[in-house]
Amino acid sequence: MFWLRWSWRDLRHHWIALVVISLVIAIGTGVYAGLSNTSTWRLLSYDSSYATTRLHDLRIAAAPGAFVETGRLRAVVDSIPSADAVEQATERLVVASQLAVGDEILVTARIIGGTLDATAVDRVVALDGDVPVPDSGAAVLETKFAEYHDLPTSGEVTVAGAETVPYTGLGVGPEEFFITTPEGTVMAEADLATLYLHLDDAQRITGHADLVNEVVLTVGDDSGIGAIADELRAAAAALPDAGLTVTDVSDVDAHRILYEDIDNDQQFFTMFAVLVLAAAALASFTLVNRIVAAQRREIGIGMAIGVGRRHLAIRPLAIGTAIAVLGVIAGLGAGWLMARAMQGLLEDVLPLPDYRTPFQIGPFARAAALGVAIPMAASAWPVWRAVSVEPIEAIRVGHLTIRGRSRLTGRHLRLPVSSIAMVPVRQILRAPWRAGITATGVGIAIAALVSVFGMLDSFTAAIDVADADITRGGRDRVIVQLTETMPLGDPRITAIDAVPAVGTIDPGLRLPATVVGDDGAPTVDLLIDAYDVDSAVWTPVGDGGAATDGLVISRKAADDLDVAVGDRIALRHPALTADGVTVVESTVAVIALHDNPVRALAYLDDSVAAGLFGASGVTNLLSVMPAPGATGDQVERALFGADGLTSTFPVARMSEAVDEALSTFTGFLLIIAGAVVGLAGLIAVNASRIAVEERRREHATMRAFGLPVRTIVMTLIAEGAIIGVAATGIGLGLGALLLDWLLGSLADRTLQEFSITRRIAMSTVGLAMSTGLAAVTLAPLLLIARLRRMDLPSTLRVME
Amino acid sequence: MHLPGTTTPTDDDRVSTVAPSPTGPRIDLDGVGRSYRIGANTVTALADVDLHIGEGEFVVILGPSGSGKTTLLNLIGALDRPTAGRIRVTGVDLTDATSRRRTAFRRKGVSFVFQSFNLFPGLTAAENIRFGADVARRPDPEHRTADAAAAVGLTERLDHFPHQLSGGEQQRVAIARAIATGNPVILADEPTGELDVVTGVQILRVLEAQARSGMTVLVVTHNREISRIADRVIELSSGRIVADGPPAGGRIDLADLQW
Repeated sequence: MFWLRWSWRDLRHHWIALVVISLVIAIGTGVYAGLSNTSTWRLLSYDSSYATTRLHDLRIAAAPGAFVETGRLRAVVDSIPSADAVEQATERLVVASQLAVGDEILVTARIIGGTLDATAVDRVVALDGDVPVPDSGAAVLETKFAEYHDLPTSGEVTVAGAETVPYTGLGVGPEEFFITTPEGTVMAEADLATLYLHLDDAQRITGHADLVNEVVLTVGDDSGIGAIADELRAAAAALPDAGLTVTDVSDVDAHRILYEDIDNDQQFFTMFAVLVLAAAALASFTLVNRIVAAQRREIGIGMAIGVGRRHLAIRPLAIGTAIAVLGVIAGLGAGWLMARAMQGLLEDVLPLPDYRTPFQIGPFARAAALGVAIPMAASAWPVWRAVSVEPIEAIRVGHLTIRGRSRLTGRHLRLPVSSIAMVPVRQILRAPWRAGITATGVGIAIAALVSVFGMLDSFTAAIDVADADITRGGRDRVIVQLTETMPLGDPRITAIDAVPAVGTIDPGLRLPATVVGDDGAPTVDLLIDAYDVDSAVWTPVGDGGAATDGLVISRKAADDLDVAVGDRIALRHPALTADGVTVVESTVAVIALHDNPVRALAYLDDSVAAGLFGASGVTNLLSVMPAPGATGDQVERALFGADGLTSTFPVARMSEAVDEALSTFTGFLLIIAGAVVGLAGLIAVNASRIAVEERRREHATMRAFGLPVRTIVMTLIAEGAIIGVAATGIGLGLGALLLDWLLGSLADRTLQEFSITRRIAMSTVGLAMSTGLAAVTLAPLLLIARLRRMDLPSTLRVME
Repeated sequence: MHLPGTTTPTDDDRVSTVAPSPTGPRIDLDGVGRSYRIGANTVTALADVDLHIGEGEFVVILGPSGSGKTTLLNLIGALDRPTAGRIRVTGVDLTDATSRRRTAFRRKGVSFVFQSFNLFPGLTAAENIRFGADVARRPDPEHRTADAAAAVGLTERLDHFPHQLSGGEQQRVAIARAIATGNPVILADEPTGELDVVTGVQILRVLEAQARSGMTVLVVTHNREISRIADRVIELSSGRIVADGPPAGGRIDLADLQW
C-alpha cells in the first residue's frame, strides 16, 4: 500500500505531463490505426460494389463506328460450345456524343443503353432518385459528374442532335466507379458525362434504331473464362464486318486502377502512419524517460537502504502504466476519429453503391500494443539504468541532472555574447542527445508533412509544365476529336471551318504506336500527333532539331528507352497498305525531346507521317483557333452537335481541371497537417514543461540574481529555436528523401506514363519551418505563469 | 530575440538605479515581521525585528534551525515580503515594492551565495562568474570576471563545468559570481554548510576580504564557532533578535577557527 500511495502522489504531481504524453501517444497510435484500415475497407467495398452491379467477366465489342442488329451479338454468345457456362449476357449500345446542361455545361458524353434492367450485367445502381421505367425516354445521370456540376437529383440534359433527355436519378455503373477518359483521369468526372438508358431509349435518342455494339456477360466459373473468351473470338468471325474484339475485366480501366491503387495508396498511408508513429514513439519515450529519470536519486537511496528492486520499480512503472492506459484509450479514440475521417474521404472520392467499413481489430490491436510498449519501455529503461549502478553513484547530485558528459560540451567554446545568451547554447550542448531526440521527433513529423505536400507540389509542377506546353500559342485553342479519319476536304470539316467562331484549323492525325526494342528491351506506347510543322499554330518545342525529318518524343520516353537525339527507334504502328489497315514496323530517327511529362506524347511532321502511315491528306484531329474576338468556350459551344466530331476540349481546361482535382486532396491534407502540427506542438509543450521542471533551481537562481522572467523565457525560446531549426532541417531533408522514394515507387508502379520530378514548393518549406519553429519556440510562452508563480526561497533551498 | 547584455535599458533599470546610500546604514529594518498562514493557523517566522547594518560590515546571523535567520536573509534580499514593518536596503524601500521593482533591486542591490552553490550546471566556471556581471549589466564583463575570479583565488579551471570542480571550488565560483555583480551587499546562506573545515575557512576568508573592501556581507549560519570571526553577531531565536553585538568571547582570527 505504501508504494501504491507514493505512486499515486507521483501521478497526481505529474498529471498534466501524463495527459500530454498520452495525447502524443494517442496521435501516433491513432493515426497508425486509422490509416491502416483503408486497404481492407477498400477491398471489401470494391468487391461488394462490383458484385452488386454484376461487373462483366467478358465483353464482345464492335470496332469503333461499327454496329450490328440487336440480338446478333447475343447470338454469337449463344453459339459457342460453352454457352451453358455463360450466366448472363446483356447487349448494349455505347455511343460517344456530347451533352449540354443549360448554357454553362458542355462536355463529352457517353450514352450507354441496356444497363438499367435489374438483371443486367454491368447494371446501374441509382444512388439518388430512381431508375426510369422502360420506354420512358428518361435516363440516369452519372453521379460524380452531377456532383461536380452541382446538378439536382432529377432534371434534363441536352444530347448532341438537340434531343432533350430527362433524368430521374443519379447513379453509377461498375465501369464508372472511377472515371477515365482518353485524356486521362484528372477531372474526368467533370468532363465526361455518362448517361444510362434502357436500350430502346438509347437507340432512339442516338439514332441507332435496333442496333447495338457490345455484349457484356458473366461466367459462372471463373476458371473457364479464358476458354470461353477463346470460343467467343472464334465465334466472332461470323460477323467479320463488325470487327469484334473480346476483352476481359483486365481491360476495364476503373477496375484495374481501383484495385491497383489500393496497394499504392496504402503504401503512402502506411508511410505517413509509420512516420507519425515514429515521431510519437521517440517523443513519448524521451518525455517519459525524463520524468522517470528524475527519480533515479530516490531509487539510489532506496537501494542504499536495502529496498528490493521490485519495489523500487513500482513508482516509475506506475507512471509508464498510467501513460500506457491513458494513451491507449485516447489512441483508440483518435484512431476511431481518423478512421471515420478516412471513411468520409473514401465516400467523397468514390461513388460506390456499397461501402464496407467494419471495425478493424488487427490495426487497432497493433496500435494498442505499441501504445503500451512505448511508455513501459521508456519508464523501465531509466529504472534499469538506476539499479545497474552502485547506490552511491545513483545518489550523487549529478544523477539528478544531465552532467554534460558528452564530448560535445564545448568546454572551450567561447562566443562573443553574454553568459545569459550562452545559456541556450550550453543547454543544448549539455544534453545534445536529448535535444537531438526532441528535434528528431518533431523533424519526423515535419518530414511526413513535407512528403505529402511535396507530392502535391511535384504533381502540380508536372501539370504546370504540361499546361504551359499545351497552351503555348494561346489558351483558347480547342482540340476537336473527329469520329473517324477523314479526307481534309470532307464536307464535315468544311462545315466546321465555316462556323463563324472558328478561326484557323490545323488538321492533324493522331495514331497510336509502340516503340519496340531488342529482345527484353522495354516497350513504350506512343500517341503520335502529326502536324504540318511549318504552318501549324501549335508545334512541339524540344531539345534537338526541327520536327521535319523525324520523331519528337518525350524526355521520359527517351529515358525509359535509353535513347538520345539522333538514335533510331523501331515503331510498330498501323499503316494503310494495299491490304487495308495493317500493323507494320518502321524505324524512325529521334530528332528532339520535349518536356511534356506525358510520356506517350510524340510528334511528327505530316510529310514524315504520310510515308510512315501511308496516309496523306487525311485527318482525325483538329487544332482549332477561335476567330478574332471569339473564345475557346464559344468555339466549343458553336461546335456542339456538329456532324463528325466526338469531343471538343479547350486546352486551357486542363489547368482548371487540375486545380479542381487537387482541391479534392484538401481534406486529407488537413487531416495530415492537423495531426502533425498537433503532434509537434504537444512534443514541444511537454519538452518545455519538463525542461522548466528540471531547471527550476537554475531558474530560481537566475531570478534571485534579478533576471526577469521574460529573459528566462527568452533563453528557453532561443533554445527552442535552435532545436526548431534542427527539426526543420531534419524534416525537410528526410521529407525530400521520402518524397523521392514515394515518387520513385509510384513511377515504378502506377505513374509509368508520366514524368514526375521532385519539387518542394516554397509554401511547403514555409509550412515546415513555421511548424517546426513555431511549435518549439512558442511552447515556452505557455510556461510564463509557472515561472512567475515559482516560490523562490523554497526552490533555492532545495537540497540535493 | 534579445537577451541581456545586448539590450538597451528598460523600465526595470530606470526604477532600480541603486546606489549605496551616502549617509546612514545600508540595511535598515524597522519592526519587521513575517508570518505565514497554514490552514487556519498563523506561524510567525520573524517578529518585530529592528536592524541597521552599515557599509563594510561583516555580520553573522546566528541561530538554530527554525529561528528565522533565512527568512531574514530572504527579506533583505527581496526574495520575500514582510507582513509587518519597513525594510530599506541600499536606499531602496522594499516594503511595498512591486515584483518588478524587487527583481530590479536584486539585479543591482544584492548578491546571493547559497549553501548548495546553485551554479548553472550548463555554464563553465567563467561563464557562471560572468553571469553576475551580465545580469547586473556592468561594463566590461570579461574584465570583471577575471577580477572576481582572482579575488577568490580561482585563476585555473575556469573553463571547467561545475560538476568537474570540488565543493570548495564551486563555492568560490559562487562567491566570485556575487562579486562580479558589483552589488554592495552579499547575502550568504550557510556558505560553508557543505564544506570541510579547511575549505570552509577559505570561503569565509574570501567573504571577509569582501567586507574589508567595503561591501556589506551577511553570513547566515547555525555554527556558533563561525560567528566568532564576524565584526558583529546577530542572534535569532524563535523569530526574534536575542543578541546583537560583537562575538561572545571576543573575535578570533580566521586562522584560529575550528569546528
